[in-house]
Amino acid sequence: MSVYNERVKNFEKVRAYMREFYVYGFKSRSAYDEKSARSYDDERRRIESWLGDYMHFVRTSEGKNVFLSIDSRTTVHNPFYKALKAKSFTDGDITLHFILFDILHTPAVVLSLPQILEKIDKDYLCHFRAPMLFDASTVRKKLKEYTEEGIIVAEKSGRTVLYHRAEMQNLPFDADALHYFSEIAPCGAVGSFLLDKQKLHTERFCFKHHYITGALDSDVLAVSFAAMQQKCEVTAVNYTRRAATPQLVRIVPLRVFISVQNGRQYLLAYQAAGDSIKAYRLDYLAQMQLGAPCLQFDTLRARLDAAQPHMWGVNCRENENRLEHVEFTVFAGKNEAYIVNRLQREKRIGTVTKVDDTHYRFSADVYDTSELIPWIRTFICRITQLRFSNRTAENRFKHDIAEMYRMYGIEGGGAL
Amino acid sequence: MIFSELYSAYYNAVAAVLTAVLRGETDEKTLQETVQKYAFSESILTILPALKTEKWQLLNRDMTTPIQHVPSMPLTLLEKRWLKAVSLDPRIRLFDVSFDSLREVEPLFTPNDYVVFDRYADGDPYFDEGYIARFRMILQAVRDRQPLKIESVNRRGQVVEMIISPLRLEYSEKDDKFRLITAGCRYGGVINLARIVFCTPYDGAEFAVCYERDKRSQSVTLKICDERNALERCMLHFAHFEKRAERIDKKHYQVHICYDKSDETELVIRILSFGPLVEVVSPDAFRQLIVARLQNQKGCELF
Repeated sequence: MSVYNERVKNFEKVRAYMREFYVYGFKSRSAYDEKSARSYDDERRRIESWLGDYMHFVRTSEGKNVFLSIDSRTTVHNPFYKALKAKSFTDGDITLHFILFDILHTPAVVLSLPQILEKIDKDYLCHFRAPMLFDASTVRKKLKEYTEEGIIVAEKSGRTVLYHRAEMQNLPFDADALHYFSEIAPCGAVGSFLLDKQKLHTERFCFKHHYITGALDSDVLAVSFAAMQQKCEVTAVNYTRRAATPQLVRIVPLRVFISVQNGRQYLLAYQAAGDSIKAYRLDYLAQMQLGAPCLQFDTLRARLDAAQPHMWGVNCRENENRLEHVEFTVFAGKNEAYIVNRLQREKRIGTVTKVDDTHYRFSADVYDTSELIPWIRTFICRITQLRFSNRTAENRFKHDIAEMYRMYGIEGGGAL
Repeated sequence: MIFSELYSAYYNAVAAVLTAVLRGETDEKTLQETVQKYAFSESILTILPALKTEKWQLLNRDMTTPIQHVPSMPLTLLEKRWLKAVSLDPRIRLFDVSFDSLREVEPLFTPNDYVVFDRYADGDPYFDEGYIARFRMILQAVRDRQPLKIESVNRRGQVVEMIISPLRLEYSEKDDKFRLITAGCRYGGVINLARIVFCTPYDGAEFAVCYERDKRSQSVTLKICDERNALERCMLHFAHFEKRAERIDKKHYQVHICYDKSDETELVIRILSFGPLVEVVSPDAFRQLIVARLQNQKGCELF
């Protein structure tokens, strides 16, 4: 039986638990039936170690529920980044890391592998009673890994490879800029890593409407971006709720669509089977790997560019002949200019026209009417006219309002 | 790619411990505090024992170290590429930074690689030199706790002068706006940065140190009917609030959300966006806000 360790090797497991505790948080231990009780206990303990301040417990008839409750308006650093700072390593990894950078303490120190090996043994490990043994292959592998990370430089001198550390660069950012972008830029976890190396500072920024779960999808996001930069396809496991079992997908990432109103992030990607551009939830994707180059990348991205003027959200059917017309009119009184302002700033791909002094009409031609429905509902109390070419969607909208009349006991409500 | 031990709290904590030891600070209390500062609550059970027992061969039993230099590591390629990507963001203009050292670096992503598709269109003017200058002055004032005299345009288009003590800057990704959280003025509290048309440091003696207004914390309880994936949509949508959820039965869930009173109208319309799948259960005053809107809607005679 393995011993509990605060660090994690496989991020996917803890990623799933953190999302479950944070987004839902009403499951008891026994409800996590897919995993063993031991696994649940270990993950819960790890998360408590990282995020103890935000972890809460409540006892229900089903048992003890664990949940994470975080007011992201008062929490100035995304606490989920902590999970990305808990990668496991071996005793040899950490020992070798600090010794290597101590030997190569400035870029001026340039040494070959045999010289480094000699120093490791003579200057460092000989001080210990049972010195670790690092063979040439292990050290070479570590140096290669660090060369790929850009922190060690390998240069050939004749037939010998010489190593030195990369130049120490001053950060172009101050801590305030780093803090701000670590919270709002894609892959902001990297900013948080950089911030960790700064002197402790007072936070001058806080955030409203701040969704933090994207932190858990940082690796998938970074690989998606890498695929776009290299114009290549990827393979990934898609845990979509539409399929009973996880699906292996081979896709060409074209663009990431980020919602700041519901915290979801999607990868719009081309799937050769079906010749279509589809939206994949980043939080449903795992084990993403870069694949073969895609020679049609620029053409495919141009296809997405052409489709975007008809996308309210992420649905990209690309069929100009099946566009759905959406139109609704709202009442805005003489002192309600803020309603017109709302329409203007929230209209996205739609247009707003003035009907008369107190009525304004929104219209758009979109691939999917249903994507607009939640937004149109926010104007409930002033919708005077509705016209969807998708009659099913219009009837559903009206039916829902009738249902709300009934639910809240509005006199005479409920009947269409 | 991002999930790497190079960025781990453990490596940072060990670097800090070795730095302390090199400075001669080897007492147990200092080392424990160092670990607690850089790592997690249970890391104390691992890091110091691993160092002291020579499991990680960086610290001798006599608390000396063969490490001779304060640990440091150059920026990784990932870090440089992220910084380069950030340099392409228009909001970087708000900060006085130079990216000359990253000239040869490829960005991790470009603005063409992602789109924020539901951000409001009337965000702050990041290309306006006047706005940038005021932003920088205000940020500096926040750093220095320097009172400011500002002129701000109110909702009626009138310019109002006020003296405030700047506390911090709040950014909303949805609104794409900065707001200045202040103390010390009856008009103050929260001021949209884009509404500030003039600001200057204020050194007047009559300005007394003031405190931030208390948040008016409220709560609302919702009942979710899990149809059309409403549960997941709702829980994610309200994820950024402090909240608690429980299952009522196989199809229904109850969520208790804490919010600030000043955000009540926004919360009302966000709840309305879920239609009949989310019902306000309590308090009654909040429920009546929904009822009033529905009654007005009924008056619109849509059907």
